[in-house]
Amino acid sequence: MDSDRRRDSRSWDWDSPQCRAQLDEVFFRRHDYIQAGSTEHREFWAFFDRFQRFKTRKEMSGPGAKEDRKKTGSGKVDLGLPKEYDARYRINVSVCTLDVEERLGKSERRGSQRSSGPGSQEISDCRLALLHFLDFSQRQSFGKLAKLRREQKNLPIFQYRDRIVELVRQSPVVVVAGDTGCGKSTQVPQYLLAAGFNHIACTQPRRIACISLAKRVSFESLNQYGSKVGYQIRFETTRTPVTKLLFLTEGLLLRQIQQDRSLAQYQVLIVDEVHERHLHCDFLLGVLRSLLAENPDLRLILMSATINIKLFSDYFSRAPVLQVPGRLFPIQVIYQPIPPDEQPSRSEKLDPRPYLRILQGIDQRYPPEERGDLLMFLSGVAEISTIQEACQVLATHTRRWIVLPLHSTLSLAQQDKVFDISPPGVRKCIISTNIAETSVTIDGVRFVVDSGKVKEMSFDPKAKMQRLQEFWISRASSEQRKGRAGRTGPGVCYRLYAESDYDAFAPYPVPEIHRVALDSLILQMKSMSLGDPLSFVFIDPPPAASIQTAVTYLKEQGALDSRSELTSIGSLLAQLPVDVVIGKMLVLGSLFNLVDPVLTVAAALSVQSPFLRSAQHNPDCTTARQPLHSNHGDPFTLLNTFNAWVEVKGERGGGSRKWCRRRGLEEQRLYEMVNLRRQFKELLRSHGLLEPQSSAPSSGDRGQRRLRLTERKKLHQMKRDHEQQESSRRKVLRLEEGEEEFSSGSDTEGAGRGKKDNEAGQNVDIQEVKFKLRHNVSELQEAASVSQDMSSRQQSLLKLLLCRGLYPQLALPDDHNSTRKDSEQVFHTRNKQGVVIHPTSVFASDPEVLQVPEGDNGEMGPERRDSSRHQLLAFVTLLETNKPYLSNCVRVPALQALLLVANSVDSNADCTRLVVDSWLELELRVPEEALKVLSTALALRGEWERLLLAQLGQSTMGAEQGVSHKVLEKLSEGLVRFLLYTEITYSLRRLTAFQTQNLYIGPRPQEPAPEGNPLFPGVEAKPDPIKGGLRVTSFFTYNCLADSKDLYSECLRTFWSCPNCDLYMPLTPLERMQHEASCRPAGEQQQSEEEPEGAKAAFSSSMSSLTRVYHCDVCDEDLTLTSTEILKHKRQHMYSTK
Amino acid sequence: MEQTSEPRQKTFTCQLCGLSSPFTYYGQKPPNTRAIVLLEECFVTQDPFSPDKEKFLVLGSTCSMCSLCVCVGSDCSLFYTKRFCMQCVNKHLEQFPNQIQAELAKKKQSSKAAVS
Repeated sequence: MDSDRRRDSRSWDWDSPQCRAQLDEVFFRRHDYIQAGSTEHREFWAFFDRFQRFKTRKEMSGPGAKEDRKKTGSGKVDLGLPKEYDARYRINVSVCTLDVEERLGKSERRGSQRSSGPGSQEISDCRLALLHFLDFSQRQSFGKLAKLRREQKNLPIFQYRDRIVELVRQSPVVVVAGDTGCGKSTQVPQYLLAAGFNHIACTQPRRIACISLAKRVSFESLNQYGSKVGYQIRFETTRTPVTKLLFLTEGLLLRQIQQDRSLAQYQVLIVDEVHERHLHCDFLLGVLRSLLAENPDLRLILMSATINIKLFSDYFSRAPVLQVPGRLFPIQVIYQPIPPDEQPSRSEKLDPRPYLRILQGIDQRYPPEERGDLLMFLSGVAEISTIQEACQVLATHTRRWIVLPLHSTLSLAQQDKVFDISPPGVRKCIISTNIAETSVTIDGVRFVVDSGKVKEMSFDPKAKMQRLQEFWISRASSEQRKGRAGRTGPGVCYRLYAESDYDAFAPYPVPEIHRVALDSLILQMKSMSLGDPLSFVFIDPPPAASIQTAVTYLKEQGALDSRSELTSIGSLLAQLPVDVVIGKMLVLGSLFNLVDPVLTVAAALSVQSPFLRSAQHNPDCTTARQPLHSNHGDPFTLLNTFNAWVEVKGERGGGSRKWCRRRGLEEQRLYEMVNLRRQFKELLRSHGLLEPQSSAPSSGDRGQRRLRLTERKKLHQMKRDHEQQESSRRKVLRLEEGEEEFSSGSDTEGAGRGKKDNEAGQNVDIQEVKFKLRHNVSELQEAASVSQDMSSRQQSLLKLLLCRGLYPQLALPDDHNSTRKDSEQVFHTRNKQGVVIHPTSVFASDPEVLQVPEGDNGEMGPERRDSSRHQLLAFVTLLETNKPYLSNCVRVPALQALLLVANSVDSNADCTRLVVDSWLELELRVPEEALKVLSTALALRGEWERLLLAQLGQSTMGAEQGVSHKVLEKLSEGLVRFLLYTEITYSLRRLTAFQTQNLYIGPRPQEPAPEGNPLFPGVEAKPDPIKGGLRVTSFFTYNCLADSKDLYSECLRTFWSCPNCDLYMPLTPLERMQHEASCRPAGEQQQSEEEPEGAKAAFSSSMSSLTRVYHCDVCDEDLTLTSTEILKHKRQHMYSTK
Repeated sequence: MEQTSEPRQKTFTCQLCGLSSPFTYYGQKPPNTRAIVLLEECFVTQDPFSPDKEKFLVLGSTCSMCSLCVCVGSDCSLFYTKRFCMQCVNKHLEQFPNQIQAELAKKKQSSKAAVS
């Protein structure tokens, strides 16, 4: 047949590109339905080959059933069908291509037959194939549509479709309760869309769910390539003006409400997974409840599992509930409590025997060809690795299991493996934390093993500490875990506890709002003007003490003032979607010229650590990481890491992946950092804390711009291509998967994996593509190199900013650390004694830098240790697991940092004894030095505060707008000098409980009269009603400490000469500080706006500007005096009366 | 609730299987398809599974005999020079060529097997 045709058609060769190109000119021209070069065009030629083969085979098998002539003239209606069968008759499409045009005489080239062109046979062959191809494509697409509709129809919720729409029309709040698999999350929004609702928002507790739901629903609503359905999460959005249905996180919706209380942009709000009771969700419900009253047109739908439905319904004045059955296959529950001799004692590792027995039991009972994987729920990472180890031994032996761990600290690539498919005859054994209970859904699970335990974060307000503790799960969680076995077929659930245990479990898990610190929540409530948090109607109010703790903490942080109102910095912090301490760093950093490093550090501290735990025991990784380490603290290590990564990105682009792998870094976290960093930058800019983006001079000439534009186009195309092929790519696991993982103990390049990764490397690195689309690499590089070349001065200033941000999260090294092993170094925070440094911190491997150098001091008593090098640790988190651990620490010089950031500094009369926050005691040897350092600190702080307020646009001075660079320069210079060059020996220790009780002298009957406060104009220096002494500034109280020298501070008058002016007279410490605060070196006086004129004037005139009217009761006279003079005057009377 | 500014969506529903989906065009010459001509009047929509906006998808048409509105799914209708709904096909099965008869018989059997 083939040879026949070849003879007929001269030199025609179907496989030759030239010949095909000639046909392309007939069928796939620029204006045809399918154009040459398009995807369909490629698909056509592939189809063509198959079609030709099919035809040849058919023809070879003989003329088939051609005897269909026996027309049955049964006298019925004649359908008028052609006599001879031809498959072409089954196609309902016709195409008008060049050949038809020529035949119809449309083309001018008619008759100009090319001698070497395709003959009529070829053209008709190709034409036939094209028609079949079009028909085939139609069938394919229609098949997809039909399947989709079938699946939708089969969902349990489908029959409630009209009822749901009707309820939403009738009532402002509707509760839809349905268990796993009923289809509520994907279908309810579609029902509403189809019913004509237009602006629908659907919240999800997890970002990943927003993305996957948006994808699924846009596919199901046949809008896969449009933007009718979109999502919006922290860094990404696919929302456009035509978006009608938006999936977003709970936190993001709250932020939107913060900006627009009416929430006019939405017609319907769906809050999904309300039963999970996340902090944000509980709060969101509370806010929406009050919003509904103001906005009667708004519709609210709560979607929940069938857990505690009445609670939600009642909260919204008995909203109607629609309950939908779930779709689960039957699951057999087997209680297998752990026998007493296999019960783990507190200190021991988990005994793997009960778990192994189940694996063996499955091997015996179920033939390997019956597929079905196993999912184990354990409480934590340590437990997982214990059981993983034991199971792997069994798996290596039987070769019937692939053991895979699953928890959030694994690299994403490792997490992703649980979705891969095991080879025939082998089951996956996935050992997971409760992450697989709700967040991660794995299909194909048939067996579930439930340990009944969970590790949950709780907050200890007394110790100001987070705690990760193991608990029994609730009955609701237990059911949820069980349900994971019945998603794709009947399953079995093994419970490693007794039925009586189950009955004793709490019905529901403790909602998050009862477990965590409420700082951010309270701050957000304040900024939304929701009134007193204590009287806010929560669905399940948190304990009042917990709210109180948060309010106190926010006051300490300076976010709330003494009347619990938002401060200007507080209202800014409320806008930032980060922890209060991180937000503070950002605001502080924007003031000084340290924006770039602060942005990076703030971003780094807000995401999970990029350093993979598993790589810590790999010597190669440790060596490769070494240059990134900074012994100043973990934030500096993170900063170095980020900068080095940006550097690599700039030079090698996609090569960064390998660079990260070599160092045991999870690159995903770095991508998160760079995104977050950018978001922070935009936030600061939108709040006027950063100068608006300079119209980049680097935009270059037109040629360059065009180049960049084409590159971006290409990148966008790559991203789209990736998104299209993304979904259906599940790899088949290899049997050795688990073994390698375990024997190498890490996910770094093992011989086998390296190869696989190389293969992956040939694919597009989608993260790299997104990175390039989102960020300007050269701009980032610039910023990175700025912070890489940081001088030690800038570094110490950055430390101070971090410390002020983190305050009061400070820890003091124990006195005896120098005699302890590296791993046993002990620290104390104000509220918790005896904490240790997390092994991932740089200070865990290098604790010496925290110790006071030997021989630095004179006397060394057991009680008192003098040095000028005491240091403190500022830390980001204090988390108790098996021990209380500090993580993300920075070391700071103790005295300087405390004086510059602490909320409460109290002194004795000659200021040689300072107590900070009623916790730390500093004793300074030389009164002269003590005074000097204190007054310098006071002056610096005053200036810093003033500039900060000015920066926040709330300057109480009202004198100037914004902050001049010169003034800033001077302040940072002063701060740096203070930090680096204060050489004072002092001792540093914690106060005992007894000492704290008798710390203050308390109010005394004979008080010095209130007087003006030259240090901080506007703040009255007045006797402190509780501590006694004189409250000089908001944070400094003079002479309130009860010690031997307290009674007659007047006696402490010593002669002193002012370095700036000619003053030489006996002054008390306070008087001296006051003078110092007002007397500036001659050169500086002109700039200082507190001193209006007479800049060069001598002492007297400079003092005179500080005078005020003072009424002396004894003289009964109004006197114009400076504060110092007032004191002197009063003393005269005192002496005379004695 | 009527806030839609765009024209009200028209929906095609198969009278046999109930499949329903919005359609954008009814006729033989779907817009933007250039040289394509349909050999029957069809309910057409933009192909939702193709990134190319100009690709169309035929959802269904009317039976040439009984005018029932049917989808193009092989359970509901058949095209052989004209559209026939399955009911009409079965009524006049003997007039269809053997190939088609055989195919239908085979399908019937396999679907029976699947059910049992």
